[in-house]
Amino acid sequence: MLKGGVSLDFSTILYQGLVGLNLAMYLWLIAAGLTIAFGVLGVLNFAHGSLYMLGAYFAFSLYGAWKLNFWLAIFLAAALVGVVGLIMERFFFKYIYKLDEAYQLILTFGFVLVFSDVVKIAWGGVFTIPPLPDIFKGTVGILGRPFPVYNLFIISAGIIVAIVIWVLLERGWWGKMVRATASDREMASAMGINIATIFTSVFVFAAALAGLGGALSTPVRVVDPGVGTAVIIQAFVITVIGGLGNLKGAFVGALIVGLVSAYGILLFPGVELFLIYVIMALVLLIKPKGLLGG
Amino acid sequence: MQKRVLGMMTALFVLLCIVAVGCAQKAPAPGGKEQGGKKSPLGVDVIKIGGQGALSGSHADYGRQMQMGATLAAEEINAAGGIMGAKIELKFMDEELKPPVAQKNARYLVKDWGANFLVGIDSSGSALALGPVLKELNTIQFFTHAGTEKLTEDLVYKQGIKQIFRMTVPVYQDAILPALVFKDMPELKRFAALNADYEYGHTSWKMFKETLSKYRPDVEFVAEANAPFGTTDFSAHISKLLAANPDVIFATPWAGEAVTMLRQAQAQGVFDKIKIWWQAMGGSVDVMEALSTDIQKDAFKGKLWGTARYLHNWPDTPENRAFVQAFLKRWARYPNYSAEASYSSVYALKAAIEKAGSIETDKVIKALEGMKIMTPAGERYIRPEDHQAVYTVPMGRAVWSSDYPIAIIGDLKVVPAENYYRKPPFN
Repeated sequence: MLKGGVSLDFSTILYQGLVGLNLAMYLWLIAAGLTIAFGVLGVLNFAHGSLYMLGAYFAFSLYGAWKLNFWLAIFLAAALVGVVGLIMERFFFKYIYKLDEAYQLILTFGFVLVFSDVVKIAWGGVFTIPPLPDIFKGTVGILGRPFPVYNLFIISAGIIVAIVIWVLLERGWWGKMVRATASDREMASAMGINIATIFTSVFVFAAALAGLGGALSTPVRVVDPGVGTAVIIQAFVITVIGGLGNLKGAFVGALIVGLVSAYGILLFPGVELFLIYVIMALVLLIKPKGLLGG
Repeated sequence: MQKRVLGMMTALFVLLCIVAVGCAQKAPAPGGKEQGGKKSPLGVDVIKIGGQGALSGSHADYGRQMQMGATLAAEEINAAGGIMGAKIELKFMDEELKPPVAQKNARYLVKDWGANFLVGIDSSGSALALGPVLKELNTIQFFTHAGTEKLTEDLVYKQGIKQIFRMTVPVYQDAILPALVFKDMPELKRFAALNADYEYGHTSWKMFKETLSKYRPDVEFVAEANAPFGTTDFSAHISKLLAANPDVIFATPWAGEAVTMLRQAQAQGVFDKIKIWWQAMGGSVDVMEALSTDIQKDAFKGKLWGTARYLHNWPDTPENRAFVQAFLKRWARYPNYSAEASYSSVYALKAAIEKAGSIETDKVIKALEGMKIMTPAGERYIRPEDHQAVYTVPMGRAVWSSDYPIAIIGDLKVVPAENYYRKPPFN
């Protein structure tokens, strides 16, 4: 028996792990884009959480208000956030790549404020949530307990996205150019790679990933103007644990944070949030560049 | 090149700052602003009421509802000639649910803006932090949401901070009332809690356990999970509680967090396993709006119970009907409890000032103590000992009724206020 009276059998522990995996996949979708943008462009995008928020709002309007097909709504929401990313990169970020990181932070923080006010004007300051799609109602029995279909869907979606990113970056021509650009801009440019286009495409891709994460969250999480700043902190912690700019690191970091949150709530109530920061501090002490960094 | 870009960036940053500041300042200061030529017998032309509540984030609707309620009252009073000829002016600020921000706002409103009275406050944490500041400022604050019993029992009754008045029912509503109803349901034996992880959530659960175990020594409190402000995923909390096989889940996260939590509980099949989900402030208008389709489709299987600090569909009195109609007409929303309490606070203040013939803090306090005033929520009696407004609010189940465009708390259980309010000397 635990404090709080939960009996701790094997299936309870495994089940909590599944819940943690579900948490981790949301975090992964956010952290992936953040870390890609940093790894390739060298920009630490504070507004990445706001892009997640925009994805959620777009999905809410498309699916919840305009009654579009759920899958189409998710796809369009991610694509629209990609367009927002395109505008951000083409008209703003493009000019600050060479500047000191402090300027980048100021610009991205500016976007946080602007987006937060824009959604207040467009959607009102009140939280919103669309109905749960019928296909995701219900549960499947796992370990003798009901597990939400939607959470299984999120876990699969997270894994699929991981595979897609891996294939894109490691196997395709686009990935080759991106990796070349990330490792040596001048050399890549000399080899005839259009750096500006690569940067834009990477930023759009990262933004769309954040939008996808937000869109997928709408049926089970309310969206409000503050949600962007709430998620960006966790995403930062994850990328710091995994290594800034390291994609595998972001995946591992998301798994660690998701699982520690879930088990923290079960086993160490009251200190679960604290635990995550302890882990981050330890990682920084022992491997300052993150678990898989440098 | 570098320089030009730098210049552009600086310009942009300045622009963004202006936009941000502009938006922040535009955040309304409603209420009548015209200055009358002749002085009222009170010696002032304008009575300034400073308000604060949650105006941002997932809990933002409560502060906005306060603002809407207080504004409606001020508009009505000003249109009818003001308070003894003096017009009411309002200014609202965001407490951000952070105690230091609430303290800073109160000081600003009184010292810089010149507020004569204060109204609002959503968070119990902010409320407790504000107590000593009100004493120092010697300014009356009407609390219109914050629920911790310590505000009136300790700060007013035991420590004598007379500037505090609370117009909303405290956690007696969230904790004692359901305990008194659930004690008569012998099939409910195992209770678990999903607490809002701060003063309000913890004090509610403690009070519920104490009350219920007094009547029902056979019940067990089997599990507990705590969720701080800002929690976006409750599935780990819910799965922990379910592992203990509870009959009842007692939940205190509120506003958008309550909606997120209930949606995730639904997805997790909770309503096939438990008998009752007690969502303390589930009757809140924003929660009912967001969950309307779920309730209409009976996604909670009739097991979602809740209350609020005022329900727009109760009592069926001319005062309440008129208020709800006026509110709907003005704002196109149903009034939440924080709106009703703020509306009633402004009217109670008017009555007290007229009785005292003054806006001096000490005289208005005297006039408020023991006042009985008819309000939309029913007759409120302001207890002189602890400055707590006493009035009855029922609890019930979340239901869909074709009389309303949003879900409501129906199937009402009415327990008279004197049976579930704690009484001085609070031992």
